Amino acid sequence: MTDDVMRFFATWLFTHEAADEEIKAAIRRGMAEGPEGMAGGPDAFVDGLAAMVEEEKEQLKRDLEARARGEEVAIEQQSDPALDEVRFEVAELRGRLDNIEALLEAMLRKLGE
Amino acid sequence: MASRSSAIVRVTLGELMRVLPSARFGLAPGPVRRAAWARALRRSFERLGPAFVKLGQLISVRPDEFSAELVAEMQGMQDAVPAVPAAAIRAVITREFGAEPEVLFATFENEPLAAASIAQVHRATLAEEYRPVWGETLPAGAEVAVKVVRPGAAASILSDVEVVRRMALRFAGTRVTRRFDPVALVDEFAATVDRELDLRQEGRFADRFSFDFRDDPKVQVPRIVWTRSTSQVLTMEFITGWRLSDLEIARAAGVDCKGLAIHGATAFMRQVFVYGRYHADLHPANIFVTPQNTIAYLDFGIVGYLTPEERMNITQVMAALVYRDPDRALRYSEKLGVHVPPGHVEPVRAGLGRLLDGDVRPDGTRDFAHFGLGFLKLLGEHGVAIPSGYGLLIKSLATVEGVARALYPEIDIVSTAQPFTTRILGQAMGDPVRVRERMPAAVRAALRVLTE
Repeated sequence: MTDDVMRFFATWLFTHEAADEEIKAAIRRGMAEGPEGMAGGPDAFVDGLAAMVEEEKEQLKRDLEARARGEEVAIEQQSDPALDEVRFEVAELRGRLDNIEALLEAMLRKLGE
Repeated sequence: MASRSSAIVRVTLGELMRVLPSARFGLAPGPVRRAAWARALRRSFERLGPAFVKLGQLISVRPDEFSAELVAEMQGMQDAVPAVPAAAIRAVITREFGAEPEVLFATFENEPLAAASIAQVHRATLAEEYRPVWGETLPAGAEVAVKVVRPGAAASILSDVEVVRRMALRFAGTRVTRRFDPVALVDEFAATVDRELDLRQEGRFADRFSFDFRDDPKVQVPRIVWTRSTSQVLTMEFITGWRLSDLEIARAAGVDCKGLAIHGATAFMRQVFVYGRYHADLHPANIFVTPQNTIAYLDFGIVGYLTPEERMNITQVMAALVYRDPDRALRYSEKLGVHVPPGHVEPVRAGLGRLLDGDVRPDGTRDFAHFGLGFLKLLGEHGVAIPSGYGLLIKSLATVEGVARALYPEIDIVSTAQPFTTRILGQAMGDPVRVRERMPAAVRAALRVLTE
């Protein structure tokens, strides 16, 4: 891009400023537009996404403040999805075994007759 | 089998004769004539038994292949049939478990709760406690619903499927079937029925559904009692509540119908866009609102599955609807198997644009059914074949919208979809592989903007 370090950082800062303004504008548009007002195709999607990222940022701020107060934040209370998945698979297997056991009992009853 | 073919022809011709006067003996205007033929077909399907009732239900979700009149008529298909005598149901249970219902349950009611074409439901109570796959243990004495496949239903349906398949082969390629492939339709129908005839599949989906919504106290699914279930008998928790036809009573009892409508629509979006597996038969009889202010989902006989790739493409199509982007809708529909012939792309795109612009109700909310079913019809008019999963999903979304509107008429299902589609597509944009692929182009675009 350039060998001049100062020029490189200036470019970076300029990019950052420009992007910052664009993102803020996108957030404003995304928040202002209801679904009935969205007629902008891909640009409207970017605005909608920016508005959602803004909401997430505000949630992150609230979480950080809560953590600073020593509270447990919501995201930390969530269980591990992978572990939950394993628990479900084990439980489902138990259900299948229950079912097989019931079928075996039925067969034994029929044989007893 | 020949006699069954004759019976089918006799019943169908008989019903067609009955509607001849209202069709003015074929001289009535097109829509009137088609409505009369559709009515005759619906009546004959109801008379011909479970296989045809199911076939009618399948036709009701394919507006791309059948006329609007036929689809509307089949949507009104009654799947309520006279109950089988209790003795026959008790015989099925005894055959399956080798014991009388009174041995298996603390109590068993002979009077059925509901009777449909494939199965009949009886109330009972558990003799001993049961720990289900997911959720709290059901105590001894807990009320359960025992769903039993009607005796002879499986054999009669499978035999009818064979007969219908032979008829479909005969009709294939004729003028009658120019808009659809009858053999493919029958094969799809056979696969659906096959799933419904093994009640364990329904039970497993219910368990999975409970697990998927384990963090959502407003969603309730009957817990399955696997020790009292087989392919022919499914025992599940009995849930009491109000059907959507009794909402006034529910409101009077303090149920928050507006909140549940939004929550129900959100729950469906979660099934489709997050999990890729969804309840595809959400008509009003399969949903309750409960005194605990929850939504109870029943009857998981018809379900839809999406591969991760299909899920992403469906999300893109929904995002196209949310953000009114016809190009995106067509691009990702193509990836879902909706191939528009080159010569038809422009008219289809124009029609899609009109649909996207015209799907607003007088109250300002978006109308998904108008868009979704209109899109299927538009594709049908241009001779575009619709993959069955695509049609089923659109119909399911339209049904969910109808159900949600019954609870809360001002709900906007498209706006409900917005956070899901936006978040999922946003996550996809952050996929490292995708970022690596697109980074050079993104840097070039950023520099271009800066230099401008």
